[in-house]
Amino acid sequence: MHFAWTVKHKPKSLAEIIGNQEAIKTLERWLRSWEGGIPQQRAVFLHGPPGVGKTSAIEVLANDLGMELVEKNASDYRTEEKIRRFAGSASQYGGFSGRKRVILLDEMDGIHGTVDRGAIPTITKIIKNTRCPIVLIANDFWNKKFVSFRDKKRYLVIEFKKPRTSELLSHLKRIVARESVDADEESLKFIVQRSEGDVRSAVNDLQALAQGKMKLTYDDVSWLAYRDRKDVIFTVLRQVLYGKTCREAKQAANNADVNLDMLFEWIYENAPYHFNVPSELVDAMEALAIANLYSGRIRRTRNWKLLRYMFDHMTAGVAMTREKSKPSGWIPFRFPQKIRSLSTSRAERAKKRGIGQKIKRRMHVSVATAQKDVLPYVKVIFENDSQMAAGLTEWFSFGEEEVEYIAGGKRRTKAILKLITK
Amino acid sequence: MSFEMWAEKYRPKSLAQMVDQKQIVERLASFAKSRNIPHCIFAGPPGTGKTTAALCLARDLYGDVFREHLMELNASDERGINVVRETVKTFARVRTLGEIPFKILILDEADNMTRDAQQALRRTMERYTRTCRFILIANYSGKIIEPIQSRCAPFRFSYLPRQEQDLYLKRVASGENITLQEDGLNAIFDVCEGDLRKAINSLQAAASLGKPVDSEIVYSVVGRANPADVHSLIKTAMEGNFVEARKKLREMIIKYGVAGSDIIKQIHTELFRIDIPENMKTKLAIVVGEVDFRLGEGADEEVQLSALLANLVEAGYQLKGG
Repeated sequence: MHFAWTVKHKPKSLAEIIGNQEAIKTLERWLRSWEGGIPQQRAVFLHGPPGVGKTSAIEVLANDLGMELVEKNASDYRTEEKIRRFAGSASQYGGFSGRKRVILLDEMDGIHGTVDRGAIPTITKIIKNTRCPIVLIANDFWNKKFVSFRDKKRYLVIEFKKPRTSELLSHLKRIVARESVDADEESLKFIVQRSEGDVRSAVNDLQALAQGKMKLTYDDVSWLAYRDRKDVIFTVLRQVLYGKTCREAKQAANNADVNLDMLFEWIYENAPYHFNVPSELVDAMEALAIANLYSGRIRRTRNWKLLRYMFDHMTAGVAMTREKSKPSGWIPFRFPQKIRSLSTSRAERAKKRGIGQKIKRRMHVSVATAQKDVLPYVKVIFENDSQMAAGLTEWFSFGEEEVEYIAGGKRRTKAILKLITK
Repeated sequence: MSFEMWAEKYRPKSLAQMVDQKQIVERLASFAKSRNIPHCIFAGPPGTGKTTAALCLARDLYGDVFREHLMELNASDERGINVVRETVKTFARVRTLGEIPFKILILDEADNMTRDAQQALRRTMERYTRTCRFILIANYSGKIIEPIQSRCAPFRFSYLPRQEQDLYLKRVASGENITLQEDGLNAIFDVCEGDLRKAINSLQAAASLGKPVDSEIVYSVVGRANPADVHSLIKTAMEGNFVEARKKLREMIIKYGVAGSDIIKQIHTELFRIDIPENMKTKLAIVVGEVDFRLGEGADEEVQLSALLANLVEAGYQLKGG
């Protein structure tokens, strides 16, 4: 039986919650203030984007302070009557075990402003008379329906922010360590980047990719963006590349719920492998070029009506190219390299930029010119003449990593660096 | 051999040392002599001595302490309007101590500045003329706005003629004690066409192989050092290997950051050099022109150029009698 990692690795103490330290401290101070009697602010409103630890924070705190957490999703209890039945009584009496009680109304966003009319006034009324702390949680505090909670005298409002990427990264590292998965830094970074600060989705993604594996590499995760979509895309691809009629090709793409730009990249990547007659290759690539032309025009003019032409050419246009081409054997579909090379070369580009800046300092050229017109020659020198490379390393003051990038290998780098120390 | 970039080591230190651009150098020398210069635009292709001339002029004016009176900015790296507003203004308005009452600001690759930044620059130039003179360096003076052009003395640099490039390279070769063969010189001129920075870099890279520099070494080095090696791109496509050609193209664009417009320009040049039937050249040129036009329209470089590669595949196939 597998647990969801989001549950299994849920924070168990304050130290394990990532980010939002200030917010949590404020929340704790407020909860403790109840020990000295009922404070003026009887409810706290926690808000912030999904998956940043709002619910986790209150759960951990309640546990730490020995309080009983009575937790309900407000979206399950929309009507006035239900809320009153649940929260009203709970707010008046102590817990069964005699412990202090905290009431949590989570997912307040689910309350509908007009349909659930009466829900919010009921909640505010309950808060007015409550004898135990009430915690409200929602993503969008500034929504009109929550306007009555903006009264600072009655409600304490605490914002939760997205954790820093470095914090989220170390959180994932902790999890893979506990799960004994050997994950490389790049792969975790990719997951972090994709999650956009949503801890929950990052952990879900990590589990989807890493569970049951010994190793996790970048190649394993770059598919992530297309998870659940792979089969869909393969089917569409087959019909676009081998469809017999325009209708067939267009419908396949139409029925599949995939992003059009993404689908374009898949077709563009794979088409050349499936047309082996040169004249047909020309036509297929031209159809894609025209589709791309429309895509540019749409972006520029915001005339979305043109989308149908982009669609025509990238699907039917490609399919109708086929006359004689009959590729033999099974040709595997390939992941769009363009997307992969863009993301893998990001780190490389940063390194190259640093080198460019050092060349600029010495040679009176722009960073771009340094990269384009000088670096390639420096590279040739580094690959051939360690002595000269060592001299240039000092002259440019390149760092070790930069030398390795330029020389293109660890052994070569060692040889060069050894000559410097002499 | 010494261990720095030869292009720097052998960069002339004063106008008197410059071998090329005779007329320009003469006029600049007369500025130095009269201890006064106007705002200038140095325009011309890369590697023809624009930056060198500006640095030499500054050194001739101020002597060895020229760095104290000089600021070098590269518009490609700092092209925003804020740079003009802040950095340039701060430098330009403060008077310098010394017998020459103005400083010099060298603005390299000025044609990469936005129009807004140029407008701001124009006002700064006007306001602080007394305390600062500007030397704008550009590949194309046409990309500099009219009002700035009209405030500057224009100097047009051109590619070095063969003799002068050879002279220079021989000087470097003997200074570095390397053997530079005649066919090596030919090859360098063939690929660098008067771009002296490229020529010296090629020579140094070729020398790193530790053998006498001949044409074979030059071509192999330049081929490796030139990410926009359209020759091998065209060859790969015409041999029928579309996927490999597209991979090369992708590397040029993504890894080396070569602009699609540069690639298409070079393909166009190369197309008329390679050994294919004449009518095929003109037919392919139609496709090249169309792709160039589409790139101007903002279409994706790789996708459009790939369509061109497919045409080259077909051309190669027809040549083989397909």
